[in-house]
Amino acid sequence: MDSGNVRALRERLERVLARELGAASVRSVARARSTEGFSQDTFRFDAEVARAGARGVERWVAKREPVAGLLEPYDLEPEFRVLHALSEDPFPSPPTPWFTRDPAVLERPFYVMRCLPGEVPIPAPSADGSGPFADDERRALGPEVARTLAALHAVDWRARGLGFLGDPGPGPAAAARELARWEARIRASGLPTEPALAAALVWLRAHVPSCDETTLVHGDYRLGNFLVERAGARSRLTGILDWEMVHLGDPLEDLAWCASPLWRAGTELASGLLLPDELAAVYATAAGRAVDPARLRFYDVLTLVKMIAIMQTGIRAFNDGRTHDLRMAIFDHQLPFLLLILAMTLDFFGGGAD
Amino acid sequence: MRIAAEHLIDGVVRTLVEAVLPDVASPFARGQLYAAVDALRNLRDRIEPRTDQAEEESASAVAALERAVAALATAAPAVADRLRAALEAAPAAPPPARTAAVRAVLVDALEAIATLPAEVAQAARRPLAEHLGAQALRDVAPLKPSMLGEISRG
Repeated sequence: MDSGNVRALRERLERVLARELGAASVRSVARARSTEGFSQDTFRFDAEVARAGARGVERWVAKREPVAGLLEPYDLEPEFRVLHALSEDPFPSPPTPWFTRDPAVLERPFYVMRCLPGEVPIPAPSADGSGPFADDERRALGPEVARTLAALHAVDWRARGLGFLGDPGPGPAAAARELARWEARIRASGLPTEPALAAALVWLRAHVPSCDETTLVHGDYRLGNFLVERAGARSRLTGILDWEMVHLGDPLEDLAWCASPLWRAGTELASGLLLPDELAAVYATAAGRAVDPARLRFYDVLTLVKMIAIMQTGIRAFNDGRTHDLRMAIFDHQLPFLLLILAMTLDFFGGGAD
Repeated sequence: MRIAAEHLIDGVVRTLVEAVLPDVASPFARGQLYAAVDALRNLRDRIEPRTDQAEEESASAVAALERAVAALATAAPAVADRLRAALEAAPAAPPPARTAAVRAVLVDALEAIATLPAEVAQAARRPLAEHLGAQALRDVAPLKPSMLGEISRG
């Protein structure tokens, strides 16, 4: 958003907010472009809302479809529909009242959701090498993250009208569909195939697991998308963010993603919270679902392939000049680290995993 | 690397001018920023890609592929012949072109080997996997520690 039209955009946003919130007046008193989100344009704003004579400040977030980026081509509507369907649920997703494709407001489609309290610890090692959480915070948040994931997977997606996401059905279809989805993204990036990535794809095709249940899958459930309130042993998870990759599929996909080495923030801990085995054990107990090691391993590898596909998409967008966001360019230097993790995961150093 | 150095520098210049400069108030800091832009603009045409890394990768990949071809010679001669011919067809120079061609043969080999019986595939895949592991280490070695944390925190 260039600075020349910020005022006009803000005024339009205020008018729309007033209408949609049913408020007498709305005034944007703070607007800051977030730095955490890599794929969508995210804007936070406080709105002074007058309702029935009482004035109050409500905190909101607008997520706007980017022109180009990591998950292109973009369509915000599916994630909006999921968030909207979960808005009245105790599950900690942000209440999300509305979405518009109308370009007259913010030039591109966007939705608005409540800004939940808390902060978003990021999955990067701190300067002193410590993890993102103190021990007492971890003890509170780790099990809660596992139990919340189990709660997400218990959502009755049919009853909530989320069948539009596409039920893959039982058997290998869920895993095969995800593999095909990400292979297509890799091809669409148009970059020369990395041999290590080709080896991973060969391995994945040979190890597609079966799954007899279909659940809602967040798709990006991990440190960096957890909103938390830190209060020592009373720390709590206040929100789950970034639902761009939500779909229906195998619940273990989320578990593997959450435990991936990609988000350990310099620790041995899944999402900086629990040892991966502990996460799986707490999740299994809460979900009443056995964690099949072979299925989990498939999704461990798929997690890395997905991230490589995402980075390649960003690199391609930067190369094409469709985005000038330098955060896309730095993926060119991040990709070799991912390929190294892939090499370790598939034991290339020992001749390759069967 | 998948982004040409010149293109990356152009992107950095653009970001400095369009996204950073408008928020810099101090005249001294603005002057330093313009100096950085000036330096980068003049640096962009003085950069040549290193060829030693490409040569090292090609040599390692070719050696691995030759071991794989030898492992396939009896059990899967058609695959072995095809891979050997592809290797011979790879250009000898310039180094980046040779590396790209050898990488394509490697991808072809990995996919072809996956169609073979397990005991044949395992022997042929081993040298390729070992090369990929070693190459992953070589690719990471020159990289600086990630600043992703700082980038995310702002």
